[in-house]
Amino acid sequence: MKNKKTFIDPLVDNNPITRQVLGICSALAVTVKVEQALVMTFALTFVLVMSNVSVSLLRKYIPSSIRIIVQLTIISTLVTLIDQFLKAYMYDISKPMSVFIALIITNCIVMGRADAYAMQNNVKDSFLDGFGNALGYGIILVLVAFFRELLGFGTIFDIKILPDFLNNGLMLLAPGAFIILGLIIWAQRSITNFVEE
Amino acid sequence: MKNKYAFILTITVICSLLLSLVSEVLKERQSKNIAIDRKKNILSAVGVDISKFSILDIDQYFIDNIDTLIITTEGSVVNNISIESLFEKENSQTGEIKYFDQKEEEFLPIYTEKASKAIILPVSGKGLWGSLYGYFALDADNFSTVKGITFYKHKETPGLGAEISEKWFQSNFIGKEIYGNDVLTSINVTKAGLADKSALHEVDGISGATITSNGVTDLLKRDLKRYEPYFIKNKK
Repeated sequence: MKNKKTFIDPLVDNNPITRQVLGICSALAVTVKVEQALVMTFALTFVLVMSNVSVSLLRKYIPSSIRIIVQLTIISTLVTLIDQFLKAYMYDISKPMSVFIALIITNCIVMGRADAYAMQNNVKDSFLDGFGNALGYGIILVLVAFFRELLGFGTIFDIKILPDFLNNGLMLLAPGAFIILGLIIWAQRSITNFVEE
Repeated sequence: MKNKYAFILTITVICSLLLSLVSEVLKERQSKNIAIDRKKNILSAVGVDISKFSILDIDQYFIDNIDTLIITTEGSVVNNISIESLFEKENSQTGEIKYFDQKEEEFLPIYTEKASKAIILPVSGKGLWGSLYGYFALDADNFSTVKGITFYKHKETPGLGAEISEKWFQSNFIGKEIYGNDVLTSINVTKAGLADKSALHEVDGISGATITSNGVTDLLKRDLKRYEPYFIKNKK
């Protein structure tokens, strides 16, 4: 029961983007196309799960005075690894995204989960927590990208759906992402009746 | 572990070993990807349809149809230097890329395409947010008629400046002339909608992206000038 909650909770109720409003920068940057959002989700899932697991494995040995440095070293190593892999195996997609992949290091979700959760919990729970949070992040990313690509380019996965004259350039810029993200947060909060304290 | 210095040292060493190992293993694949990407862009500058090409097809087409020439800044062809031995230096102010050998002597690369009789020149310069990198293809007989242009790397705004990598913008260049009355006039990117369709030296710019459009004008003017000695020497 507890396992299930660790995993399900960050998907909707405690979603890192819509509820905790973390990781906004990348939600604006890589949501122009659905494909990019999926690759970003994949990269973040790898980093978040692996960093949560490694930090949790080491949690009894990490001296608390340098724990942030240790977490940062682990996270940046993982991010560089995934960046290298994408450059080697998915070059065409990684080319326009490389800088945003590198910026996963500064994504608050990753460090937040490592310090707030993995430092206190066992490996299995940390794994589930990392996976859940990454998916919760991914759901919102793909959702925002879906609307931006559809309304901005008139395509989904580069397949034409809407005619060209409906394309809205605003959707391709950062404000478009803000608007959609705001609408999603609004919708979620009015359904769950959640109010910021 | 009691000693925090020993702990952080261990972690750092493990992480760096892991990273060097991975980077060493993947290096070959990555540089191959970069090389293929360049080749793709060179081919699309002369209008070769590469959408159905596999990586092997691109390599093969390159071997069959493309020659790489290295010329001096005075325009004479040098035979004993390969493009791989040159290194690139970018001027961060202007985005201009220069090619040097080990002795800091400047050279210029030219690609020639047999099938459509074109030469392809690398061009680069400043846009709005960063440098624009591309290839510019000219007729190999008169060095004046434009065969095509591509931009393979830029940081321009999607929907505005980024339109330089779209077909509608690039196809405007095809058939234009960079020479007028035997003077190198280059091609002027005007404000959107102001270009005279029949004019030989101007193309329509992008609305909302004046700085990007001006950047294209400037980089063409400057980079074509560098190749002018070669054009003069080899013109038929």
